[in-house]
Amino acid sequence: MKGIDEQTYYEILEVSPTATSKEIQKAYEHAKETFHADSLAVYSLFTEQEIHEIQVAIEEAYRVLMDESSRKSYDQSHFQIFDKQHLETPPEMQVPTREKKPPPASVEVPVHVVGEVYRGKTLKQIRERMGIDLETVAQETRINMKTLEWIEGEDLEKLPPLVYLKGFLKGYAQSLGLDPLKVVEEYLLFLEEEKKKIAP
Amino acid sequence: MGSTQSKDRKAIWTIGGGKGGSGKSFITANMGICLSKLGSRVILIDADLGGANLHTFLGVSPPALTLSDFIKKRVKNLHEVLIPTEVQNLLLLTGAQDLLNAMDSKNVQKRKLLRSIQHLEADYLLVDLGGGNSISVLDFFLMSDGGILVVTPEPTSIENTYRFLKSAFYRRLRQSVSSHAVRTLIDGAMDRKNEIAIQNPYELIKAVRQINEEEARKIEMEVETFQPNLILNQVRSRKDIEIGFSIRSACQKYFGIRLHYLGYVVYDQDVGYSVRRRRPLVLENAHSRAAQCVSEIASKLASRHQMSFQF
Repeated sequence: MKGIDEQTYYEILEVSPTATSKEIQKAYEHAKETFHADSLAVYSLFTEQEIHEIQVAIEEAYRVLMDESSRKSYDQSHFQIFDKQHLETPPEMQVPTREKKPPPASVEVPVHVVGEVYRGKTLKQIRERMGIDLETVAQETRINMKTLEWIEGEDLEKLPPLVYLKGFLKGYAQSLGLDPLKVVEEYLLFLEEEKKKIAP
Repeated sequence: MGSTQSKDRKAIWTIGGGKGGSGKSFITANMGICLSKLGSRVILIDADLGGANLHTFLGVSPPALTLSDFIKKRVKNLHEVLIPTEVQNLLLLTGAQDLLNAMDSKNVQKRKLLRSIQHLEADYLLVDLGGGNSISVLDFFLMSDGGILVVTPEPTSIENTYRFLKSAFYRRLRQSVSSHAVRTLIDGAMDRKNEIAIQNPYELIKAVRQINEEEARKIEMEVETFQPNLILNQVRSRKDIEIGFSIRSACQKYFGIRLHYLGYVVYDQDVGYSVRRRRPLVLENAHSRAAQCVSEIASKLASRHQMSFQF
């Protein structure tokens, strides 16, 4: 049994070391939902401090694993540790563990942090972090490139009517492995707030 | 729990945790029927101290013969107190108080009763433990081949389930060690406000390792092999279904255990109607959504049982 600071980033997000960006994104969404301060599944089991530590670890794991070069160097350094351990320690001790790092007070790469809603900007960030270009999303979802650009650009005037927008958002979310219902709900909520700001 | 058995041995599954009203008896009764319909011989045991009414979910009148008649030697064999049901291959054994008293009793009586239960002719024994948290309930939960927790997606139900799981978890760890000092540490860890400042199982193992490396290894082994199961009942939305996965993740992070999420049963008014008519849902309305959920879980359990006894 390992403490949160001894777990690998993969263990923290409960994914395999060969997980794709989509799988990591999905696992991150799940972990974020599970270890939200108000989550029914954790409030009576963990202290607030423990929940906070897990949240920090989840964000850190997500930040590193979603960035191709960070993930590569993390894997390399841990495989090296693994190889070294392999020679020096008994088999049951040969699991690579995460280096204890300070909490990401100032993250270089913007991440989808707890509490941030799915708006166009966020969706774009997630897509880019996954290394998926807009054209691929367009081909996969059969949504027009321009429409996807308007969704990401939060272009209130050009966005399609609500009934179509819902369908597009759902398709877009699914193509990134995100929770479609959540994406639709939060995006529409965001739009509503924006419209209120503009309205006289 | 989770131990390997020979193929000819029956599987004993206990259904517990949560709180009264989470649907343990409903699931026990209906899952038993589904397993019988799959061709297995099933005996349902009502060990719910708070409200033994499994017979009602099966549409059987309050039984005249109970386990008590066997313990008090009014009948010679345990199978004489088994109540037939309208489903072929499905029998009912009632007598919650006597069963749990026997678990509390000294070894001779306990072993005798457990041996008699083991000798019953069945493929599955499903034991409805009710919402209790007593030592005897915990012991029965731990000695079974698969402990199943039934939870509803509500704070009170989840809180009670964690309380039950914590008690079962620490009791299992306590049973695995022999050192008095380590047992004292485990007893202390059960109370979060303990003076030894152990906040969770991980810190407990660290503390045990400092005083006894061998016992710490035993505890880690117990943690690894403790794999209870979870059924989420009365779910109304996709978000509710996901709570099951969240509970699984929380248990992994907190206890270090692997909890199997067997599935969920949707909230369905047909359940209420069937209970009021004292008719099992899977017989009364097999096409209802809840009946299909239960049936799916039973098939899953049966196929796991056929593949391996290990959970």
